[in-house]
Amino acid sequence: MSLEAPVKIFRYKPGDDAPRYPTYRVTVPDEANVIDLIEAVWRQDPTFTFRHACHHASCGTCAVRVNGYERLPCIYPVTEALKGRHEILIEPLRNFPIVSDLVVDVAGFFQKQEASRLIITRTAEAALVDRPYVRSEIFDEEGKLAERPYNRFENCIECGICLSACPTMAAADKFFGPAGLAALYRARQESNDPQQKSLLLALADGEQEAWRCHSAFECTQACPQNVDPAGAIMALRRDLITHKIKRFFGMR
Amino acid sequence: MLERGEVASGTTGRNHCLLHSGGRYCVKDQESAIECIDENLILRRIMPGVLELNDGLFVAINEDDLAFKDKFLEGCAACHIPARDLPVKRALEMEPFLNSKILAAVQIPDGVFEPFRLCLAFLATAHQNGAVTRPYTEVTELLCAGRNVTGVKVVDHRTGKTETLGADLVVNATGPWAEKIARMAGMDVPVSPTAGVMVTINKRLNNMVINRLNKPSDGDIVVPQRTTAIIGTTSWTVPDADQIVIPKDHIDKMIHKGQELIPAIQHTVTRGVGAVARPLIRRAGGDEREVSRTFECFDHQHDGVNGLVTISGGKTTTARAMAEKVADIVCAKLGVRAECRTRDTLLASYRLFYN
Repeated sequence: MSLEAPVKIFRYKPGDDAPRYPTYRVTVPDEANVIDLIEAVWRQDPTFTFRHACHHASCGTCAVRVNGYERLPCIYPVTEALKGRHEILIEPLRNFPIVSDLVVDVAGFFQKQEASRLIITRTAEAALVDRPYVRSEIFDEEGKLAERPYNRFENCIECGICLSACPTMAAADKFFGPAGLAALYRARQESNDPQQKSLLLALADGEQEAWRCHSAFECTQACPQNVDPAGAIMALRRDLITHKIKRFFGMR
Repeated sequence: MLERGEVASGTTGRNHCLLHSGGRYCVKDQESAIECIDENLILRRIMPGVLELNDGLFVAINEDDLAFKDKFLEGCAACHIPARDLPVKRALEMEPFLNSKILAAVQIPDGVFEPFRLCLAFLATAHQNGAVTRPYTEVTELLCAGRNVTGVKVVDHRTGKTETLGADLVVNATGPWAEKIARMAGMDVPVSPTAGVMVTINKRLNNMVINRLNKPSDGDIVVPQRTTAIIGTTSWTVPDADQIVIPKDHIDKMIHKGQELIPAIQHTVTRGVGAVARPLIRRAGGDEREVSRTFECFDHQHDGVNGLVTISGGKTTTARAMAEKVADIVCAKLGVRAECRTRDTLLASYRLFYN
C-alpha cells in the first residue's frame, strides 16, 4: 500500500531574494519515513539539495524541521507527520547558516564539538537492556585475544537538533551551544586526568558558555538520542560553582 | 573530490556499518575475505577511538549450520582470520539475548563503524594533505578530446552554476553509478547495482556482531551500533541505483530472520529502514549472492580511452585498499614515483573535515 503525501519544502539558493515554499506531490509506501519523502522530491527535482547518509539515525546528517519541530526524518514516519494535517512542511534547522535548500553549514558546529576532543566511543554498559553479560577476551588491534571491556558509540550523533531548538542560540549566535557543552561534560566524565578535567571545566566557564544558557530545556526536549544537553549544562554549572567556592576557601 | 550530494550520501553512508573480519566470505570468496581482515587490522590501527571493536560471533542454529563449522574454521585459517571456537555456554553468557538453542559459536574480530564519520576522517586527512572536496557537485559530462578524457563538466547544486574542470586523469570512483559515468566516455564497466534492505531496531540486544554460521544469505546478521542494532540484508539487482523501492516483504523477512538469531528482536520496535545499492563486479555466471565482494580497477586505456580509470566493487571495510590500488595506478600513469602511506597514517579527527 502507498500514500500520497503533499509536502511543502523550503527552497533557497544563494542569491535568491527570499525562500520559496513550493508544494510537491509524491507517493511513498505506507511505512515510509520522512527521509523517503524527501528523496522522492529529489527524484522529481534534482536541483533540490538536502543532507543524508545512514537512514537509521546514526550519522545525524538529515536533521530538519518537520511541521515546525526538529526531527530526524530517517526515523520519523510519514503517517506521524501527516497526523491532523493535510500537508507536511519541511524546513532547514534554525540557528545555522543556510547553504542551499535544506542544507545548512555545520562547520562552526563541528569546530565547537571538537573543542572537547571527546572520543566518540565509550565503555559499554555492564548489561544489555537490564540483562548482565560476562566479559570475555576479545581481539585487539593486532588480532590477539586480550581482556578488555566492550565499547560502544556515544549517544550524541551531532545532528544539530539541540542548537536549532535552543532559544538562547536564536538570540545569541556566539553561544557555545548545548551539544558542545554536553560534549565538554561527557569528556570530563570520561577523563581520569585532573588537569584535563580542569581544562575542560575552564572551557565551559564563560559568558558564552555554560552561563549563557537560559535553562529553557528545549534541547533536551528535542534531542532524538536522549543525551539531555540541558542536564549536562546544569551539571557543569554545579561543578563550576563547587570549583569556585573551593578555590575561594583555598581548597583544591 | 567531487561528490553529487552530501559526503557519504551514496552507498558508503548507508551500509551495514560492519567492519568485516572476512569471516563472512572465508569459505566462498577468500580473496575478499583476505582483503577484509587485512584492512580490518589496518583500520583498527589508523582510526582509534572511532570504531566499536567487540568482535563477532558466527552461530549455528541448525544441523546445516553446524555442518558448515569445520569449513568455516578452515576458511578462517586459510585467510589468516583469528577465530576462536567458543563453548555454547560461554557464548550465551557473553550474549544473553542470543538464541539459547544455538549449537555452536565461533568468535572472530568483526567490528562496527559509523560510515559518515569514517568518510569524514579519511577526507579530513586528505584535506590536510592538500585535497579539496566539493560536495553537491554532480558530474554531468566527461570532457573528451578524441580518445582522451580531459576533464569534467559539473553542476554545483548549491548554486545551480555549471563549470568545466580540466584534469590530467579522471578517477571514476562512483560505486554502483560507475557504469553511468564510464558510459559518458563510451566505456562499459561490468558493475551491477545490487540493492539490500537493512532494518534498524530500537534496542541493542548484542555487543558482538551476530552472524549466521553458514554461507551468506538474507537476514543472517545483526550488527549492534550505539544503542540500536541493524538487521541485514537482502540482495537483488536493480536497474538504477537511484530508484530503489523497498519491498515490504524484505522488511518482514529481516525481522523474522533476525529473530532466529536473537529471539528478543520480536519485542523491539523498528527504528529505521534503509536500502542502498552495492557495486558488484559482474563476472561470468552465478546469482548476486555468488558474486565476489572484491574490487577491481579498470584502466580504460586498454579499451582505447586515455585519462579515465574506474575503481569499483569492494566494501567500505576495504575502501582504503581500493584507494591505494587506484592511487598506485594513477601514479604509474602520471609518472609519479611515490609509496602509498595510508596504511600507516593515523587519520585526523573526522570533525576537522569542517576546518
